[in-house]
Amino acid sequence: MQTPDTNDPLTNSDSEAQPADSAVVGSDLEIGYASTDEPVVTVDRIDVPRGEITALVGPNGSGKSTLLKTLARQLGPDEGEVLLEGKDVQTYDQKALARELGHLSQENDAPETVTVENLVAHGRYPYRGFFESLGESDAEAIARAIDLAGVEDLREEPVGNLSGGQKQLVFIAMVLAQDTDVLLLDEPTTFLDLHHQLRVMETVTRLNEERDVTVVVVLHDIAQAARFADYLIALDDGSVYDWGPPTDVVTEALLRDVFDIEAAVRYTPDPEIVPKHSL
Amino acid sequence: MTHESHGDSGPGDNVSGVSDGWRVLLDRQLGLLALGSTVVFVVASFVQLRYGSYPMTPAEVIAGLTDPAIVADPRVLAGLLLGGEFPDVANSTLILWKIRLPRILVGVMVGANLAVAGAIFQAITRNELASPYVLGVSAGAGLAVLVVLILVPVLSSYLPFVAAVGGTAAFLLVYAIAWQNGTSPVRLILAGIVVATIGQSLQTGLFFFAGNTGVVQTALSWLTGSLTGTSWSEVRLALPWTVLALTLAVAGSRQLNVLLLGEQAASSLGMRVERVRFGLSALAIAATAISVAVAGLVGFVGLVVPHLVRNIVGTDYRRLVIGCVFAGPALVTAADVGARLALSPIQLPVGIVTGLLGGPYFLYLMQKQRQLGEL
Repeated sequence: MQTPDTNDPLTNSDSEAQPADSAVVGSDLEIGYASTDEPVVTVDRIDVPRGEITALVGPNGSGKSTLLKTLARQLGPDEGEVLLEGKDVQTYDQKALARELGHLSQENDAPETVTVENLVAHGRYPYRGFFESLGESDAEAIARAIDLAGVEDLREEPVGNLSGGQKQLVFIAMVLAQDTDVLLLDEPTTFLDLHHQLRVMETVTRLNEERDVTVVVVLHDIAQAARFADYLIALDDGSVYDWGPPTDVVTEALLRDVFDIEAAVRYTPDPEIVPKHSL
Repeated sequence: MTHESHGDSGPGDNVSGVSDGWRVLLDRQLGLLALGSTVVFVVASFVQLRYGSYPMTPAEVIAGLTDPAIVADPRVLAGLLLGGEFPDVANSTLILWKIRLPRILVGVMVGANLAVAGAIFQAITRNELASPYVLGVSAGAGLAVLVVLILVPVLSSYLPFVAAVGGTAAFLLVYAIAWQNGTSPVRLILAGIVVATIGQSLQTGLFFFAGNTGVVQTALSWLTGSLTGTSWSEVRLALPWTVLALTLAVAGSRQLNVLLLGEQAASSLGMRVERVRFGLSALAIAATAISVAVAGLVGFVGLVVPHLVRNIVGTDYRRLVIGCVFAGPALVTAADVGARLALSPIQLPVGIVTGLLGGPYFLYLMQKQRQLGEL
């Protein structure tokens, strides 16, 4: 686990973050759905530090996925803007955006007969014209993505034959084939067994360390977030409760205020969270 | 870490499996499907060419088909495709070339267009039970045909265009109804039902104003789809558009594969989903309109064929579309044998036979597969 630089803007929520350090910045965001009058998420400012793993945590309904969708331009904000590398995401061409920013939503589905390799090949969509076939660089990116996600042995398998955990790794490989500098993952470990949860998080860590990819990951499990992320953004009821390195954010107070549980938090130095009872 | 197993396999190793080129066509299932379809087509065509009110021997059929007065004369062949003089030939040659062969060719195009259109709509709506008529085409085309036949019979010679225009107008209406900051498969299907229901009622209502049974029979053969009386002029009308539509469908098959991952995934991958969806729908509507223009509303082909092909070659649209181009013509040609010869001298609309074949096929599927519907 990397020790955060004390000068980092995120450690001090009073100071304005410098855009040069953030791959993605959201400002003055108000996000709602067509079915709701009031915005579901209201965020003055959110910074995603470049080259780091940032986890979005919070209880059910706190707006994690909504915020992530807005960062990925899947959901337009009512107010405010999201800057990717200093440029408003709304101004990106769709394919250009998909070459800069990968997004994997919470639920993914593919026809059962498609093979792992062909599914991962869809990750090259933003690099191809209408009549273009896969080139050498595409083949390399696909092989690299399959390797990074650790699913070589499944290459020829139809997706219908895979377990939930294997499927998730394959979908992650598809997003990796997009070869983006920024990756947004929505609850990639929820519903997976522990082995596959760890494999997903290890893939994310490897990607971040070896290829310097900026990752934002929504995680349900706060202990997992504290262990794997460099930064945490804790959301409570649609707004940012706290942000910073895990040791600052994951406290007994946070668990009490945001998650409504009484818990003991220790760092040994890995974070250990022992939930006691609900509040 | 649990990743020991793949430390060494660098990029570039074993990428051959990503068969994106034409090698994907060499797949065994698709090969067998194409072969089987071709056999069915050849046998059915031979029966169509040989039998009828002027039966021939196999030798006569072959002699007529290879009559040098036609096949050795490029001007005559060009004349068939572009319109022109037909030479004086033996009766059997004339019947084969002027009557029976164009009917088969029209059937081939109808089958290919409907099958491919159905396959596209099944991807767009993500529903296996979608047909080329799901977005209101049948309602629009049928209504337009009935309005012309019953209310403005002077326009009867323009029926192919009337049908195509009516179908396209209904499709645009469906899209307009479904549009609300974009569309979704479910909204499109519901809007299709809205337009189809109203169109159906108006069609039925119009029948009460039909002056005589001749008009009713003409209308019915349009509404059920018929190849009776099709000639080289229908071939000429449909051929260029069919070639264009099928080429674009093969080229667009990769887009369909990505669309099958769901709207959100497709847009995350860089697809402008609404634009692609509308473009592919318009392409499928064009393919359907071609078929409606020359043969009326032939049912079940666009529903059954993609389904059958999918069961054999899988959901990869690069293979599925090509499989449909083979299987669609085979089904229509075989069905037309029944429509034309079963109750000879009475000729049935081919749509009646495709329906009689399609219904039991779905019955069989219901027995065999527990899950049916969602793609």
